[in-house]
Amino acid sequence: MRRLFRLVVLAALAVWAWRLLIGRREPQERAGVSYADGSSLVLEPGSPGFERLAAVARPALRQ
Amino acid sequence: MDVAQALGRLMQDSSQVERAVVLDADGSVLGSTLDNAAAGELLAEAARELLAAAGELRPSGDEVTRAEVELSEGALFVLREGGRAIAATTGPKPTAGLVAYDLRTCLHGLGEPEKPKRKRTTRKAKEEAPDR
Repeated sequence: MRRLFRLVVLAALAVWAWRLLIGRREPQERAGVSYADGSSLVLEPGSPGFERLAAVARPALRQ
Repeated sequence: MDVAQALGRLMQDSSQVERAVVLDADGSVLGSTLDNAAAGELLAEAARELLAAAGELRPSGDEVTRAEVELSEGALFVLREGGRAIAATTGPKPTAGLVAYDLRTCLHGLGEPEKPKRKRTTRKAKEEAPDR
């Protein structure tokens, strides 16, 4: 029983550490565009489209 | 509802929108939540550029109805509907769907007649009222 308890605690700690160290590295930046025909696209950081839209948005956000 | 009223209601209803500006079909500023007209024009310029840049991503030339950019310092949303457009900035990590809903509601509210406030009548007051 004690071993099982230790295992559960260790697993919980591992998940917490993973979320803290790895989970936070996920990109929090993104851009999305929707069109009149109902289609849409999502742009991730690093793509030329994202960089173009981000360059437009940045000055407005820094006001 | 006029633009100032619609923007006032938007700022009242949305806890995420920090600044907003409404643009006419030709891109001119119809109203803004910013006190400084120059700052409002800057946000409007960013909205016009964002719509243009988003349109260029698609060679088909379909009209952009919504463009949003979420960055670590905040997010910029632009929605276009019925010729008019609304642009708004939020802080980091906004709830995009909720912000878009609030902005769309604001756009829909423009031009709609303001709903008259209902007067609460109690049964007693009705009973006391003289018969017609």
